[in-house]
Amino acid sequence: MDYFAGIDVGSLSTDVVILNGGGEVCGYSIIETGANSTEASEDALENALAQAGIGRGDLVKIVATGYGRVSVPLADRKFTEISCHALGAYYLFPYTGTVIDIGGQDSKVIRVGEGGKVVDFTMNDKCAAGTGRFLEVMAAKLRVPLDEMGDLSLHAKGEVQISSVCTVFAESEVVSLVARNHPREEILRGLHRAIVSRVWSMVKSIGVNGEVTMTGGVAKNSGVVVLMEERLGKTIHIHSEPQIIGALGAALLARRAFG
Amino acid sequence: MTRKEYIIKQKKMGRHIFGVFPAQYPREILWAMNVAPVEIWDPPLEITGANAHLQPYICSVVKLGLELILQGKCDDLDGFLFPHTCDSIQNLASIVNDYLGMEKPCYFFYHPKAPFRDSSRIFYMEHLKGLAALLKQQLGPLDFSKLNQCVEQGRQVTSLLRELYNMRASGEISASNVQFYRVIRQGEFLLPDDFIPLLEEFLTASKGRSVAGPAVILSGVLPNPPEILTLLDELGVRVADDDFLSCSRRLLVPFSQARDPFEAMAETYFAMPPCTTKGSSIDERLNYLFGKIEGSGARGVIFDMVKFCEPELFDVPQLVKELKERGLATLVIDSELNQGLSGQLNTRVEAFVEMIS
Ligand SMILES: Nc1ncnc2c1ncn2[C@@H]1O[C@H](COP(=O)(O)OP(=O)(O)O)[C@@H](O)[C@H]1O
Ligand code: SF4
Repeated sequence: MDYFAGIDVGSLSTDVVILNGGGEVCGYSIIETGANSTEASEDALENALAQAGIGRGDLVKIVATGYGRVSVPLADRKFTEISCHALGAYYLFPYTGTVIDIGGQDSKVIRVGEGGKVVDFTMNDKCAAGTGRFLEVMAAKLRVPLDEMGDLSLHAKGEVQISSVCTVFAESEVVSLVARNHPREEILRGLHRAIVSRVWSMVKSIGVNGEVTMTGGVAKNSGVVVLMEERLGKTIHIHSEPQIIGALGAALLARRAFG
Repeated sequence: MTRKEYIIKQKKMGRHIFGVFPAQYPREILWAMNVAPVEIWDPPLEITGANAHLQPYICSVVKLGLELILQGKCDDLDGFLFPHTCDSIQNLASIVNDYLGMEKPCYFFYHPKAPFRDSSRIFYMEHLKGLAALLKQQLGPLDFSKLNQCVEQGRQVTSLLRELYNMRASGEISASNVQFYRVIRQGEFLLPDDFIPLLEEFLTASKGRSVAGPAVILSGVLPNPPEILTLLDELGVRVADDDFLSCSRRLLVPFSQARDPFEAMAETYFAMPPCTTKGSSIDERLNYLFGKIEGSGARGVIFDMVKFCEPELFDVPQLVKELKERGLATLVIDSELNQGLSGQLNTRVEAFVEMIS
């Protein structure tokens, strides 16, 4: 049997998906990227191969994506994460017309057309405003585990307003809110609102088209998802492992290139 | 030969060297008065001193220009010319002329902005002649037959450039994007005696097939950061045409048949392709872009913006909207000059190319 791998080297996580010739996911892995992208891609690939119960020799084609795509010597080809997230989301949810991908260091809104092809996209600037990194910094400041911050914020009775999406300014705002004994849940809700507003301006510039799918690590944050759904006025599709959608798209492109 | 070596050589030959700021100016008058105009667009410098004189939201064309002066790299020049391109250049002109205490002659050249009326032509002619009269005080009389010759040389340059642009639009050029703009940009300092043979040689040497990849149009002030051209070459993309202020907008002007050299120069200005710095309407700009797209089979337009360039950025949202409505792909990137392509900008360009491939 032929197998295909997609490797997504992100700023925070390196994700690998292995597909068989029939397009089924038979192994995946998510690890921290750390300081060495090449090593991370090799390690994540080994994990995914072990899960799939196959060896490297069984792979026919490998496609790399993500900001570290250039440091994956194993890859036969590379594609941007924009094309890969679009295709991955479309594959899982075929009525997807808009993808909102919020990762560690950037966020993107992608308009998806026929066959999962990118029709238009927008991407945030260099800074961490409106990205997962922003949430990580705030989680650390509030001493809340990353995977609990979303649910906690949903229990807030009220909400404080965070006036800046700049990580540095928002951090000092959070410090003074904590000092004034504002409930953590309310601060969290305000932080989630800030990130959603930032991404919302990107959504508006592209326009919402069809069904919406969220990808990237921040899709695991229920607080962000709920607020985004409120803004959109519709539910958002989210896969149980939203971080691997870029790698899935890459694996699909590997399979397509071979076919 | 580098720009610097060329300037030294011209100086030794007895030419006056003028630093000229963007964008459009009557180069023929300068040539005829034995001046080698050296255009100052994006000198490769680190900005240190200029920030003390300029607000943070001023474009880097102006910042780098001022930096060049402050670092003493214009000390050997014989004068400056500031065309009235935009408020930022105007501001620069007054800083250099009024505040820096420079001993060098500074000249200003004003053009009328659209919508043009009969009086615009009169205004332009007056300013052409006024500039010539002022230059005469520093450089001696203007030889009319020399001016006629220079206007003719200007026509030759334009005609060669047009041929190159046409070859490229129809996919018949083997030169890479980087090579193409390297040659075109030599015109920012070479005199026509040297630029014409360079263009002729390049024309002959680069006849051939263009790369087979998708074609795009670039729009903006100038092809910077240069890395964007390298990246497009690597991705197999043909820049089929451009709408750069520093390139097609001011270089590909229709010919004037006027006998009088001043008339010819004036006609040239009014016939310039639509441009933000002339006050052209969005409709004119769109028609110009569509003409280029149709003529070259381009699938999209990349707006390569200089950060804080107000005239250009003002038009972009409307242009993008209209182009998208007609099914064309667009990408807007903005960066400070000479800062290279960040990882994110790189990804945007690559994703755009994947999208149109
Ligand atoms: N379990 C989780 N719960 C909530 N948020 C999470 C979780 N895991 C990751 N994230 C968020 O996802 C971000 C990383 O997203 P990811 O798509 O892996 O980024 P990248 O592709 O840039 O490496 C983190 O900054 C964090 O905000
Ligand atoms: S880049 Fe724009 S703002 Fe700056 S000098 Fe040129 S036209 Fe003026």
